[in-house]
Amino acid sequence: MEKGDKVWEVFIQKKAGLSFKHVGNVHAYDKKMAIQNARDLYTRRSEGREIWVVETEHIVSVPLDQADAYFNPSDDKPYRHASFYELPDGITSL
Amino acid sequence: MGIKIEKNEAKFLIRLADTEIILGQRLTEMCSKGPFLEEDIAISNLALDLFGRGEELLKIVSNIEGNTYSSDDYAFKRNEREYFNLNLSEQPNNDFAWVIAKQFLHDVYVQLVFTQLLKSKIDEVSGLAEKVLKEIEYSLNHSRDWMLRLGIGTEESNSRLQVAINHLWKYVQEIFLFDELDNEFLVDTDSITKDWKTEIANVFKASNISEPETKHYDIRDYRNGFHSEHLGLILATMQYLPRAYPDAKW
Repeated sequence: MEKGDKVWEVFIQKKAGLSFKHVGNVHAYDKKMAIQNARDLYTRRSEGREIWVVETEHIVSVPLDQADAYFNPSDDKPYRHASFYELPDGITSL
Repeated sequence: MGIKIEKNEAKFLIRLADTEIILGQRLTEMCSKGPFLEEDIAISNLALDLFGRGEELLKIVSNIEGNTYSSDDYAFKRNEREYFNLNLSEQPNNDFAWVIAKQFLHDVYVQLVFTQLLKSKIDEVSGLAEKVLKEIEYSLNHSRDWMLRLGIGTEESNSRLQVAINHLWKYVQEIFLFDELDNEFLVDTDSITKDWKTEIANVFKASNISEPETKHYDIRDYRNGFHSEHLGLILATMQYLPRAYPDAKW
């Protein structure tokens, strides 16, 4: 789009105390417009009670072409999961 | 169609209902034509809010009038001279500045009106006022924000906003020619005039917009069903379907 336009990532909190969930993004020129646009696009059907917006360029992510290097090595290491332990009796919510 | 309104309460409330519906209808013209996707959706949401507010008011009107006509009858079966919206609300959307200027002048007004209606003796009205003031606050944030953005944005955006304000200004006077009905159902119409002018002057100042000179225009009052040339066309679009297919359901 035009000069000054940025993309912002939008996070919605459904209820007080719950974690924020990424829901999508919006275009906006500044913080105020970003939060208003996020409100209009993502909370029209009572999806939340709080919104965070973050400029997309401020989010650091793993480069796509290095995804294998970052994530493949853990695919064949099932011992990293705690699934080999026998749960003591009486523990129900682990 | 000859839908007459008998009771004073209903005569007063339908002015407000019509203003919201006609401004809503104007805003829907922007649907898919907003300056960018996000703003397009924002404007469409505001239009829906206006329709919701208008419909609730018409339901109250219908109730007061003994349920002879439904809220849909009032919206779709009255002709131009039976509509009592502010002339301001029917002015065209020549460009985005017009949309914002109209919305802003309107939002400040209805916020003051509904704030006074919180004290209405009609329970349904005070209840509705409480509910809609939240959405009006949002709408006003949105329109005030755009006033500033356009006003102090670029030379081009400032001059377009100034053109819109200059034109719309002549439809502002009638808002404050409060009559007996207004004074019967609003607590203090003088303070509406005063507070409206203060808020408008503040935002104009912050937006680098000069307040147009107030000239006297011989415009016949919306309270008697007089309108600019635009209302007929708006109603033609808005009422076509229910009039052509009276039993249509969706």
